[in-house]
Amino acid sequence: MTGRSPPCRAHPRPEKHFPPRDNELGKSARKCHTSGMLTPNRKEYAQKIPREELTHLILKLLQAWKEPLSHFNQHIEHHQELPDDSLSKAKQISKELPDDSLSKAKQISNMVHELKTGVEKVTEKMQSMGIISNSLNGMASSEAAGLSISNEANMMSDSDFIHCFRRDSNKVQSYLKILKCRIMPENSC
Amino acid sequence: MKQKLRSSVQIILLFALTAVGLTGQSYPGKPKIIRCRSLEKETFSCWWKPGSDGGLPTNYTLFYSKDSEEKIYECPDYGMSGPNSCYFDKNHTNPWTTYNITVMAMNEIGSNSSDPQYVDVTSIVQPDAPVNLSLETKTSASTTYLLAKWSPPPLADVTSNSHVYRYELRLKPEEKEEWETVSVGVQTQYKVNRLQAGVKYVVQVRCVLDIGEWSEWSSERHIHIPNGESPPEKPTIIKCRSPEKETFTCWWKPGSDGGHPTNYTLLYSKEGEERVYECPDYKTAGPNSCYFDKKHTSFWTIYNITVKATNEIGSNVSDPLYVDVTYIVQTDPPVNVTLELKKTVNRKPYLVLTWSPPPLADVRSGWLTLDYELRLKPEEAEEWETIFVGQQTHYKMFSLNPGKKYIVQIHCKPDHHGSWSEWSLEKYIQIPTDFRIKDMVVWIIVGVLSSLICLVMSWTMVLKGYRMIAFILPPVPGPKIKGIDTHLLETGKSEELLSALGCHGFPPTSDCEELLIEYLEVEDSEDQQLMPSHDNGHPSKNAKMIAKETDSDSGRGSCDSPSLLSEKCRESRAILSTLQTQDIRDVQENNGRRHWETQCIASEQKILLFNNESTKSPIWPAAQLPDNQPPMFAYHSTVDVHKITLCTIDVNIAPVLVENEEQHQPQYPITETVHDNMEKHREVENLYSKTDQTTVQVKQNRPNDKSPFSKPKLMDYVEVHKVRQDEVAAVLLKHKENSGKIEKYTVPGTSKEYTKVSTVVDHNILVLMPDSRIQHIPVSQEPAMEMSQNLQQGQTEKNMSYCLTVPSECKRETSASEYMDPSSFIPAFK
Repeated sequence: MTGRSPPCRAHPRPEKHFPPRDNELGKSARKCHTSGMLTPNRKEYAQKIPREELTHLILKLLQAWKEPLSHFNQHIEHHQELPDDSLSKAKQISKELPDDSLSKAKQISNMVHELKTGVEKVTEKMQSMGIISNSLNGMASSEAAGLSISNEANMMSDSDFIHCFRRDSNKVQSYLKILKCRIMPENSC
Repeated sequence: MKQKLRSSVQIILLFALTAVGLTGQSYPGKPKIIRCRSLEKETFSCWWKPGSDGGLPTNYTLFYSKDSEEKIYECPDYGMSGPNSCYFDKNHTNPWTTYNITVMAMNEIGSNSSDPQYVDVTSIVQPDAPVNLSLETKTSASTTYLLAKWSPPPLADVTSNSHVYRYELRLKPEEKEEWETVSVGVQTQYKVNRLQAGVKYVVQVRCVLDIGEWSEWSSERHIHIPNGESPPEKPTIIKCRSPEKETFTCWWKPGSDGGHPTNYTLLYSKEGEERVYECPDYKTAGPNSCYFDKKHTSFWTIYNITVKATNEIGSNVSDPLYVDVTYIVQTDPPVNVTLELKKTVNRKPYLVLTWSPPPLADVRSGWLTLDYELRLKPEEAEEWETIFVGQQTHYKMFSLNPGKKYIVQIHCKPDHHGSWSEWSLEKYIQIPTDFRIKDMVVWIIVGVLSSLICLVMSWTMVLKGYRMIAFILPPVPGPKIKGIDTHLLETGKSEELLSALGCHGFPPTSDCEELLIEYLEVEDSEDQQLMPSHDNGHPSKNAKMIAKETDSDSGRGSCDSPSLLSEKCRESRAILSTLQTQDIRDVQENNGRRHWETQCIASEQKILLFNNESTKSPIWPAAQLPDNQPPMFAYHSTVDVHKITLCTIDVNIAPVLVENEEQHQPQYPITETVHDNMEKHREVENLYSKTDQTTVQVKQNRPNDKSPFSKPKLMDYVEVHKVRQDEVAAVLLKHKENSGKIEKYTVPGTSKEYTKVSTVVDHNILVLMPDSRIQHIPVSQEPAMEMSQNLQQGQTEKNMSYCLTVPSECKRETSASEYMDPSSFIPAFK
């Protein structure tokens, strides 16, 4: 099956663009909009979960971030257009972001979109080849589920947003790699 | 009257006051200089306090004068030290001057000045307080002492570090009121010994320069002195690491234990949960550590980890550390690093590195993906060259220097989050030198050969240096100067000779012999019918030739000889051939020149003899040769040692001649040309070439080892026979260079010259006879002139016919012939 490796390599790496600061991990108010999703948080769970479910989860996660990302882009764009007003609180938050955040954020949005498209295609192929079953009604359900989650993402602060996105992108990456090695063990696994 | 005046004045005053009172505006109040201060003796600032501003915007100006001078200056810098201040920088500050400073307030209405302030810079010095005061307690040998450290006050204008501050420290227990002041000196730290255990102290420090006042006290610092009975100090968590993204470990550093045995417990809670857990395993990872196994490790979850130190007295909790295990992965270094040297198709070595991921990392399942990076350097180099490899576990390296020893190391990192592992153990590899035996052998052979050649060259140079040079670089023939009387040269009267030539005082050079080289080229294009054919009978040919010769004009006398010779040749072809071969052999042997000469002469003689036998008329002086042999030899004996008489043959024709021999062509004895450095003579034999191409060249060379002016040179004579199919050409030309006389072929001697034509026989044969007029040069006539001109031309293989030496009887047979008669030149020079 071709086209498997691109998703793994083209994964966005937000920590390169937005370097995390460890002490900010401690903010207890942090809660991601995807926290409600039940996702395997250990290697054994990820290896035991059925393939269809894993694929479904991946798509759901990707869908859940589509809307918040575009919203975030607008957010940055909006604040970068504002005059440099030291009294603007919102601007103060955005001051933490580097100057080229807007371009990087757009880049990340594109990458996530492409990744989602790629995974969808691969899922179709897998379903047609019988590697995974259609029990979960394919992508439509994951899209719906993802969309419902994404609506809650509007209230996050910038740093929370980045932190959550970094975590979820790492999740998607790990799940894709596990899935790849489960389906095609001989391909560099 | 007085009363009226007084009342009017009062009314005016009242009006003025009212006016003032009504409007509320007046001139400003008097400002007051609060203080002036210098931080370091090189600059100072003054601050003032404004008075009332009179309701209008007020400007403040500071004026100053120095000592008792009249001149008044204005403040150089108003804003530096804040509002209502004036800053005097280094250039405006003089420590030994007294400044008289006043501040003037001015508004629209009026102005007001402050009282003058007399400022002496040295008296207003007061530094800032020291900064960065830090306190530490140290316990040693059951005593605890306090170590205080601080930094000198910062200076805005940090130009010189020459300010030496003296410090003072004061401390007191928190609850007490009295300070204990200690003079520290110039150090920026201090140890306090006499401390009460278990008490909290507060510490301050101040400084002073060599002049001026003490600074303010620094801000307070508090410290608690531990005693034997105190709760443990707060521990700190150093780090947490996961070696394979499945488990992780945390380490902490304990604080002071307060004098009692202390227990440490690690407590953690997970993101989103309230419950607090305790570390599942304190042992596995060593002391002061906590190991979380697989079951207790969750990813994409933030752990809140703290360490608690407890002893009898109390307990203390460290600062929390928030950890997401995903981001703390740091594996072991790669293992099984193998280095292998392989060779490419071109026999160039390249290095193949392979390694394996660390044993604990589960790369197979895709849960953990590692990126690798390797570094290498030659053993003695300083810097490493780092190469990012990616996810593969092998690498080929081509650009390595043969003969060097390299060190290689590899490390790895999880591909997106995590840290680089330690470098693997050093691996050494020696690159073999690219040494091919074949190449070395080739080089050795080349070296040996070249050295041999050099030896041979130098040896020959040493032995036969001069000859070699002449051989390699044959002397360039110079121009012949006609008209030189050799006898003049003999007698050494160079002046006369030179005058004869027309140049005066010109010293001759040593290699003038080259000047007298003549070339005669003879070609007969007309009498082609006389050319002997291959298969025709010789007699007919000969007859033809003879007929041709007879038809031709005079000057063919010598032409006869070739025909005669050809006759003879036919008859005596065998002999000729033998002679020829002999000559060739002789020439090939290349022994003494005289040998050649003799051989040539002998052959010539023989030929002539042969000819004589058959000729109708003794054309050739060779007929007289037998008689003249002695003279000939004598002649030759008189030849200068250096001279060489060579029988030369146009090389091109030599093979032809050989062939001719085979084809029953009349031939002439051929002598090969010999090139010799020392050669003086060249004689070109007449050649009977084949029918198709016969060009006969006659060349005359002059002996070149002697100056033409100094010695008589033997004349070469050239006999050219050109036998063509259609042509007959036979020209004999003999010249004596010195005299220009025409000599006979075999008698080139001063003694006898056959330069006089006695008869013409058969219309094509000239009979020459010796000429007694040795010293005279028979002037060649016009035809000779023409021919002489031709002589001077270089060797050209043109068809040339040349006449006999008797110019008067010489006619050009062929139009294309060019005949060069040296004798013809003589009159020209005369």
